[in-house]
Amino acid sequence: MTRVFVFTNHKGGVGKSTSATNTALGIAGMLRRAGAPNARVLLIDTDSQAHATLVTTGTKEYGTDDSLYTVLMADRQNAAQTLLNCIVQSTWDADLHVLPASPMLEGAERELMGIAGAPYRLADPLSRILNRYAAIVIDTCPSFSLMTEMGLIAATDAIVPVEPRYLETVGLMSVIGKINDIREGWRQPNLRVSGILVTKMNTRIRGHNHLLDELKAHSVLGKLLLGVVPANEAVSYAHQNHQSIFNYDPKASASKAYAQFVGKLVQRIAKGGV
Amino acid sequence: MPPKNQTHRIDDLLGSVTEELLLGNPQQFEDNSIRVERLLLEMVRPDPVQPRRVLPEQLHFAFHNNRLTPTQALKELVQLVQVAARQRGRPFNNVLELLPNPDDESDEDQSVHLSPEEQLLHDLVNLAVTIRDDGQVNPLTVVDVSQGVTQQFRIETGERRYWATWLLRDFIAGYEGDGMIPCIIIPTERSSVFRQAKENTARSGLSAIAMARQAALLVLTVHGYEIPSHAVTNDFYRQALELDLRSKREYTEAVLSAMGGIKRGQFSYIKGLLRLSDEAMELADRHAIEEGRLRYVTNVAPEYHTEIVRQIIDFNLSSKQVKELCAGDGLDAADRDDKVEHLPASAVKLAKITQASNTTSAQDLAQAMLRQEGDASLARARLQAMRKLLTEAERYLTGD
Repeated sequence: MTRVFVFTNHKGGVGKSTSATNTALGIAGMLRRAGAPNARVLLIDTDSQAHATLVTTGTKEYGTDDSLYTVLMADRQNAAQTLLNCIVQSTWDADLHVLPASPMLEGAERELMGIAGAPYRLADPLSRILNRYAAIVIDTCPSFSLMTEMGLIAATDAIVPVEPRYLETVGLMSVIGKINDIREGWRQPNLRVSGILVTKMNTRIRGHNHLLDELKAHSVLGKLLLGVVPANEAVSYAHQNHQSIFNYDPKASASKAYAQFVGKLVQRIAKGGV
Repeated sequence: MPPKNQTHRIDDLLGSVTEELLLGNPQQFEDNSIRVERLLLEMVRPDPVQPRRVLPEQLHFAFHNNRLTPTQALKELVQLVQVAARQRGRPFNNVLELLPNPDDESDEDQSVHLSPEEQLLHDLVNLAVTIRDDGQVNPLTVVDVSQGVTQQFRIETGERRYWATWLLRDFIAGYEGDGMIPCIIIPTERSSVFRQAKENTARSGLSAIAMARQAALLVLTVHGYEIPSHAVTNDFYRQALELDLRSKREYTEAVLSAMGGIKRGQFSYIKGLLRLSDEAMELADRHAIEEGRLRYVTNVAPEYHTEIVRQIIDFNLSSKQVKELCAGDGLDAADRDDKVEHLPASAVKLAKITQASNTTSAQDLAQAMLRQEGDASLARARLQAMRKLLTEAERYLTGD
């Protein structure tokens, strides 16, 4: 079964979009190098700010007829075809496909409120094209809105990017709790919290080191720790130039950390296990 | 900070991690096997050069040139059949009415002769109802031809099931599927004209014209012609008439085997059917006329092909009758060349016969014809051919 990785955290600025975009590209690149017959990866941007869309496609001029909004508003019968029609190729890599977000998504939440089956409006059409991709990566918005719920319902693996700060780590258990609520409440047995990705780690800050040590020592969270991405100005410069961190500066410490993290996900894709 | 874009180095970075991943099991990602998957119906498309065509020619081209969606193509087919059925006094509103009513015992004894279009829709509806009631047991065979973000699978075998599923989805009540269809996906590099030919010839109901197209595809393939991915006219297949298997002896056995183990002579006859005019081919294909009855038609001038094929259909002529009909002097193409100074003896003979028209009664002529041909159908066919010849001759006289 195709793994669907969703990057989620209701706190903003923790690196969800950066992690989602670079992970999607990394998976495609690694699978291709490994000789996988299908190395296509689909990146779904569910955030109305469309940052992931902007950096991976060079534009965020997507609207009512060519974005995720279009898919969510389509008839159930035509939704999968609409989804296929809205997917665009990323400027980063031919194997990286993007379902773009649109500012209209903000309104979509209101429009869909009260409509039966609204939370499944992404999962349902996605399930029909799932096997065409080696992996799917979903970027979510910084809130537990209907849009995030849709992303989680469509996913198999939730990854929580978190900054090593006190308040963020305190909120970590509540994020995991929310994901488990979705799993139980919406009867999504395939969804699990698959990992924690620590971002913007600065080893010169004592507090960061302390929190990372605590995280590693935690009986539950420690086992979920999948990677630590150092704070690196190359990340923001890469954004500015609409490039992936791998392309912008492969020697940067963040590039290496993301590559290691992606490697772990690719291993899971290959093994089909946890 | 200026853009860096060090594309060449990204590979080094991802490559080093990949190598670590692959340690111990380098083949873990490589999977080139044939797989069975459920695909979205919209991702699947029939092969435009598949010799066995399901839709009538006009719809076939409109669909493959993207002028019609699958639903529109079926809608046009249903309308076409509705007109044909109404003309035959059996109008219907719902496609399900084409199937016999199991509660009506009087239907059992009636052997209604359906037109090819009615038969096609009847068979598709029947198949659709089977899929609805029992599910799609036999998956389609498709080839992955996805490019970029366009995900597409070309049907190698199972086009009828494809159309039946669309029919079921959009025209028949009670469809509860999710718009997916089970398919055996063959990797592009394993797709082959030979396998498609074997699949086609192994099934019953492949018309002689479809066999001729199949033969052409095989001959063109072994001669290195590129098989296009769009709908082609008969002229594409006719290129095979200029080619033979003699220069490709190493493929002869494979080609004949793919054609169902036929003999070389039979293969030549089948390929020769590509000489038929477009209209005659379409008619012969729709009515599934056998090669044995069609082979003689290619001996006469192309402008007569349609007429003769029509006579074969209307009078159900046997191959012997067709042979006799086509052997008639008056239909030899070479004889009709008005630039030749020497008039053919047959033309002179016919011209003389016209002088006897005043001294012969219609009844006598009919009896004489019957005695000569030994069969009323063949006699009627002869008269029709004569009528056509006389009409054309008159046109030459008026025009000159």
